[in-house]
Amino acid sequence: MRISYVLNEAFNNIRRNGLVVLGAILAVFVSLFLTFGTLIFGEIARVNTEQWQEDVRVIGYLRNDFRDVSGLQAEIEDWAEVQQVIYFSPSEAYQEAQRMFADDNQILEVIQEDPSIIPASLRVRPVDLNDYDTIKQRLTNSPGISDVISADETVEQIAAIRDGLRVFFWVLAVALGVAAVALIANTIHMAIYARREELEIMHLVGASNWFVRTPFIIEGVFEGVLGSGIAVALGAWLYKLAEGRLSDLPEFIILAVPDSFMLGRGLVIIAFGAVVGVVGSSISLAVHKYVRT
Amino acid sequence: MIRLQNVTKVYDNSVVAVTEVSLDVAKGEFVFLVGPSGSGKSTLLRLIMREEKPDEGDVWVAGKHASVLPTWKVPHLRRSIGTVFQDFKLLPNKSVYENVSFALEVTGRSRHVVRNQVPQVLKLVGLSNKSERQPRQLSGGEQQRVSIARAFVNRPLILLADEPTGNLDPATSVGIMRILDRINRTGTTVVMATHDHAIVDAMRRRVVQLDDGRVIRDQRSGAYEIRVQSNVRAAEARDEGKPIDPLEIPPDPALVADLVSETEPTSLPGAAPEKPTVAPAPDDASSAAPGHERTDTDA
Repeated sequence: MRISYVLNEAFNNIRRNGLVVLGAILAVFVSLFLTFGTLIFGEIARVNTEQWQEDVRVIGYLRNDFRDVSGLQAEIEDWAEVQQVIYFSPSEAYQEAQRMFADDNQILEVIQEDPSIIPASLRVRPVDLNDYDTIKQRLTNSPGISDVISADETVEQIAAIRDGLRVFFWVLAVALGVAAVALIANTIHMAIYARREELEIMHLVGASNWFVRTPFIIEGVFEGVLGSGIAVALGAWLYKLAEGRLSDLPEFIILAVPDSFMLGRGLVIIAFGAVVGVVGSSISLAVHKYVRT
Repeated sequence: MIRLQNVTKVYDNSVVAVTEVSLDVAKGEFVFLVGPSGSGKSTLLRLIMREEKPDEGDVWVAGKHASVLPTWKVPHLRRSIGTVFQDFKLLPNKSVYENVSFALEVTGRSRHVVRNQVPQVLKLVGLSNKSERQPRQLSGGEQQRVSIARAFVNRPLILLADEPTGNLDPATSVGIMRILDRINRTGTTVVMATHDHAIVDAMRRRVVQLDDGRVIRDQRSGAYEIRVQSNVRAAEARDEGKPIDPLEIPPDPALVADLVSETEPTSLPGAAPEKPTVAPAPDDASSAAPGHERTDTDA
């Protein structure tokens, strides 16, 4: 009887305070929908910046008289911050130059006259964008390297965008989560206030604390899970819709959030919704005089 | 059953509500708490039901050291105390039956117990035929009877009543007192704070008089106020040349007749038949004594 009575209380309460409960569900839904959206956008941003990062290289041009190329290549590959080193031979460099300057006859003529002015190079791929500078320094000091070039500004921009987005999405997600807790706490607060006479009598006749509190906790969890569940379902649906519609996006943007990510983060959001419900209702139970003994 | 030892309670606004009160109430006693408003009667009741903790001194209730009882054990203490208030505190959206059954349901009693106990206790307070009514469809006296039924439905050892007749006319009050007396006769200890001279004078039970937070009189078979009546008596006594004994002040005969007439034949189903003792039984008092059951300590 006890369990069924407690559940009954919780759901009677939800029914009686329908509008307030709906408000709480909407509040959780909105904040967690935005949080979930934030996570998805964060993932898109991560995938894309990673992709751009893939294409970033530090190029070290080799002196024409340098012979121990494979030795240097092996040495650089051993650096902790280096992911990969590719040797670009003179003939490859020549072909690339011809492609790059296909429109510029003057330059083409110069190149064709003396292919040796296009030097061979080592193209170094960093583990992380932040290692870029270190690699540049070390490469400059290496024997056999005549010149180092890098797309400094581009790299810095990519790194800044990536780090900025990461911080922005985290701050947003945390702020929205806190807002959801506050809204649930407020809803439970109102539910408690609406039932203050009943609660006072429960305390008078000796209802145990869990008996008084559990219905409110259940109500909070119900609101949290329902709100977050709707948020996840709608978020995932909208993403799929967007993925189908936006097939003609510019090439440099990839819209590929894996289903596993969607499922994993969706479950995290729903679990978070449940936690928000427990925390929110606990906060308002703790501060409310009608449920304190 | 109830023991207060040198209890002092000061509220946050530094109002001293109760000062060094010591009081023993034995099982089955009926005690009136009298005194002007603000004299500490309600605070005393709140200390007994552990709605408040004393700042100094100890409170034992029903064998439990109430003043140091951890918060999570308070509900169990409350189950051995029934409480009745001047303003009834009924739930307006529940029927009479539901108001009473609520007390059993929220303390986790089975449906079987609820179905058994509620009609019995409604019969005791004479509301069997009104169990489906809403509180607003009842008179003040009937509402108070519902609240007594709720307080008594789980057969508490102690019934605390804070001015239960405060909102009721004298005739209705008599009906309420008859029920409290009936409950007392089942062995339940009753402590009632009141301003009602007529009732106290008629019932002739133990009277504890408070003034400014102190006990200034604790008298068996007492009257509401010793001074006023004894002044009258004193005047008479002076005339007649006799000494005054407050115990001799006769109660209002009409009220006594009213109170006594119906109390006798009632026996409560399910309650242990006990002698209606008014005299404090010493061994009962000791059962609530210090060290007997110490459920320490979070204080």
